Amino acid sequence: MTTERPLVLPGDTIPPHLIPSSTTKPLRLGPGLRHLPPSDIIPVVAGQLITNHQKNSMWVEYNNNRYLPTPGDLIIAQIHRSGPDFYYCSLSPYTPHATLPHLSFESATKKTRPQLQPGSIVYARVVLANKHMDPEVECVSQSTGKSDGLGELKGGMVFDVSLQFARRLLMAKSREEGKVEVLEALGAEGLAFEIAVGRNGRVWVGGEDPKAVVVVGRALKETDEGRLGVEEQRKLVRRLVKGMK
Amino acid sequence: MTVTAAPEAALGVLPRADGSAKYSYAGYTVTASVNGPIEAQRRDEHPYEAHVDVIVRPAAGVGATRERHLESILQSSLTQIILVKNFPRSLIQIVLQVEDTPENDYVNTKLVQASLDFAIMPALFQTAVLALLSAGVPMRATATATAVALVSQDGSKTSVVDPSPRDVEIAQSVHVLAFTSQDELLLAESEGDFTVKEWDEVYETAKQVCCRPVPTKEGMEMVLDDEHTSGPDLRHFLRSTMEQKVASDLHWK
Repeated sequence: MTTERPLVLPGDTIPPHLIPSSTTKPLRLGPGLRHLPPSDIIPVVAGQLITNHQKNSMWVEYNNNRYLPTPGDLIIAQIHRSGPDFYYCSLSPYTPHATLPHLSFESATKKTRPQLQPGSIVYARVVLANKHMDPEVECVSQSTGKSDGLGELKGGMVFDVSLQFARRLLMAKSREEGKVEVLEALGAEGLAFEIAVGRNGRVWVGGEDPKAVVVVGRALKETDEGRLGVEEQRKLVRRLVKGMK
Repeated sequence: MTVTAAPEAALGVLPRADGSAKYSYAGYTVTASVNGPIEAQRRDEHPYEAHVDVIVRPAAGVGATRERHLESILQSSLTQIILVKNFPRSLIQIVLQVEDTPENDYVNTKLVQASLDFAIMPALFQTAVLALLSAGVPMRATATATAVALVSQDGSKTSVVDPSPRDVEIAQSVHVLAFTSQDELLLAESEGDFTVKEWDEVYETAKQVCCRPVPTKEGMEMVLDDEHTSGPDLRHFLRSTMEQKVASDLHWK
């Protein structure tokens, strides 16, 4: 990893020394970059240009509020209505509904499939995201036929956070790389809760005690909106847990 | 009468919108919100590209023909820099609310009425670009805009960058020009009497304001010594505004 992370604006030219040049692996372009054949790579959003020489990849790190579906993303969707073969669910407000096939659940058949009511929340994975078609999501792994934790989320509450905060929560090492420690701190205080993070900026929090659910949701929202550091997150959690008792 | 104050901007001022910006310069204050890409109405839907919807709301009263005219100009130039082909059948909505316009000291108007003119175009354009950047809408390039008025004084014409309402009133012609970050002319609208030669001069003046090279660390002193340039360095302003936004977004990095 290089330490140089320049700011790029749409249409800027990227200095050639920042483009990783590996001869064995193909160059992978992440979000925020556009390839103009034959060899121009141009940023399309404002953000920090990040290059990874080991993986021979580069992308632009930025924050926005509108979720754009990408295959493989885990998202929290709300069922809008049921059609003959699909559920229609919304991933973000004012966008076309995504389809969730009735048979995309663990061990679902025509006769035994989960009956989801309008308004219920599902944790799902994006399978198809194409600019010319409405996105498609699933609640089952295509290769194993298992749900892998996907499916309807019963009870609990959904909280909206920024897309970037959702990405940080989903990082494999969210404490080291994403600098979020709020969940660990809440667990250390003895709160019992379940959590599901969607890339579309929604976090579902469930648990036996409604008080704990609300405290967890508030802690997440305040961490996101207040842009709190690790130490401030610990302080916030202590304050919220004290107020709860 | 040139404006000496530097432009000011704040990003993300509206929490519910996908992107927003507040920009004030030369007496104009404009707030913009951007939402998109969202579902377009059936009549606005285009099978291959996004529809860019621009709405201009005056500080007082409701918009009329003038606002529709400004909207159509902004719409066609913003469509050029947004990557509309990435979002077929969708809508990118840009709402520009004018909050403040400079007063004309020579005219005593008690009645506040909607009367937008060309001089507001740079402010509207700049706010829209900032709000689009704040929303993270993919764009081909960024852009900067400026207004130039040709005022005749003692028989000879002088060009005034960012004209005041009084300048606009006595001007022979008013021009609005916008350039992309690749120094390409994006928008050229003119009003009044002028010759081709005069337009060429206006073009050079506007290009100097909009397309000043971003100062590198070595070239810093050279830029400071440059005395014949007029107006603010818009491109540098855009970059430093975005720098602040990105730094505060990525505080955890």
